[in-house]
Amino acid sequence: MTHLLEMRGIVKRFGRVEALKGVDFHVGRAEVVGLVGDNGAGKSTLVKIIAGVYQPDAGEIYWEGQPRVFRDPHEARQAGVEIVYQHLALIDLMSIERNIFLGREPVRRVGPLSILDKRRMSEEAWRVLQDIGLRRIRSPAERVAKLSGGERQSVAIGRAMHFKAKLLILDEPTAALSVRETRRVLDHVLDVKKQGVSVIIISHNIYHVYEVSDRIVVLDHGRKIADVPKEKVTPEEVIKVIRRGAPLES
Amino acid sequence: MGRAPGQPLLAALLQHPELGVTVSFFSIALVFVALVPDKFPTLPTLYSILTLAGELGVVSVGVAFLMISGEFNLAVGSIYALVPMGVAYMMMAGVDMLLASLVMLALAFAIGVAMGYITLKAGIPSFITSLGFMMFIRGILLAVTGGFPVRMPHDHWLAFWLNGPLNEEGLRTSALWLLLLTLIFAFILDWTPYGNWTYAVGGSASTARELGVSVPKVKVLNFGVSSLLAGLAGLIAFSRFRVVDPTLGIGLELEAITSAVLGGCLLSGGYGSIAGTFLGALLVAMTRVGLVLAKAPAYWYQAFIGVLLIIATVINHFVVKKFVAPG
Repeated sequence: MTHLLEMRGIVKRFGRVEALKGVDFHVGRAEVVGLVGDNGAGKSTLVKIIAGVYQPDAGEIYWEGQPRVFRDPHEARQAGVEIVYQHLALIDLMSIERNIFLGREPVRRVGPLSILDKRRMSEEAWRVLQDIGLRRIRSPAERVAKLSGGERQSVAIGRAMHFKAKLLILDEPTAALSVRETRRVLDHVLDVKKQGVSVIIISHNIYHVYEVSDRIVVLDHGRKIADVPKEKVTPEEVIKVIRRGAPLES
Repeated sequence: MGRAPGQPLLAALLQHPELGVTVSFFSIALVFVALVPDKFPTLPTLYSILTLAGELGVVSVGVAFLMISGEFNLAVGSIYALVPMGVAYMMMAGVDMLLASLVMLALAFAIGVAMGYITLKAGIPSFITSLGFMMFIRGILLAVTGGFPVRMPHDHWLAFWLNGPLNEEGLRTSALWLLLLTLIFAFILDWTPYGNWTYAVGGSASTARELGVSVPKVKVLNFGVSSLLAGLAGLIAFSRFRVVDPTLGIGLELEAITSAVLGGCLLSGGYGSIAGTFLGALLVAMTRVGLVLAKAPAYWYQAFIGVLLIIATVINHFVVKKFVAPG
């Protein structure tokens, strides 16, 4: 079977800066890939290309075996790519249910009018909260501002699952989370994988990445310097690779 | 964090941005009832409040809608004068009032769109763009008219429709326009996907963009709507006075912002209410009428509104910080 996502020779420039210098990258089905590297390595640029935020200057992308470049985030989302950013996941002043359906509101058509199907929003949002295990929350009408950092990540992941994501991208999901909340988010990753969804997880915390990933990819200054199954490395070796900016000698 | 135990009802009520304005509206109404019990609680008083609120309220609804999407339009006062002025000139040139009104309203909308486009394209604060438009349009009005008012040259059925008397005691059609537009925009804001996007682009433009909402489209359209409503309100005022002064609507932009903020809208966007703004405009109008009835000198009106605005904003700010967006 073909990979869910296959990228070859991806180049991305910002002015004179070459953020990605010909990166090969792939994600298999129901595979969790840990994407690590120091600041400025190109991790975010790479996932933003996958999510349709940026378009590559060179290289090929295959989505489910077909050549495909997403022109905007909306297109990527429709194809099944959901990205959860650290700070941009949800809007504080809006209710959980309005957040979950933002940009994909269910409507009832009454003549020429499209009216929000509030009942459906409320019911489905409630189910999302139950499925993701947020039992403390009493109503999906609560505003997001009342949620903790971990609960927000959970809601965002729940939203991705609700919309049948095929590839879930988590950008620093555990930064600024308590130990217990981190545990919950990592458990979500494993649950999501069990449902057949692929995951790319970006983090500075190698131990978090290592725990849930099937494979670790290390970027350095826009190049891929390691791509190894988890069983073949230890977290300490991964850290060493990142520090030296060069592959391990075998 | 979380809701205060033992008072979930209060906490739930405080989630509504309209709560503050509803409470202040009725408290101040009670004060006026106590001050002038013979004249204040009467239908003619209600009708004069509605007449004042009609023009201010229609502007405020548009300003509030735009403010919720995170932007300002300070040019509404100038557009409020520009549209009837253009209509008056066209009528003098023999153009039918309906056609003239449609042309000028389209121009108002286009001005709003241009304002929004410049704001978003250049990435500058809309406070500045709209301030520029406000001065630009006002300057043109004064230059073209030489500072003199222009009369409506002849009567027209449209003037009755926009702001004609409905009964002997002073109820006018403008009250119906205000009600209708409040209902329409409250509906759009809370019951349509577009309303959801309006909240979202004001709450966090970057998150809205990541979730596939076209931020420029929503904001630019809302700029257009606020200008369109300001122009319509100008026509409503024109139909009442039958004359348009080039200084008409100076300071109106601040009164509209006052109504919106009294009504629970946050200056920073993402939060607010159209029904609350409606009550805010009603509160401003009621204060004006009530003070006149209480025989207070007219100057007190501004002073009173100023104090009211600060108190209301302090309370709203506290409520939002404590119950809506803690932390």
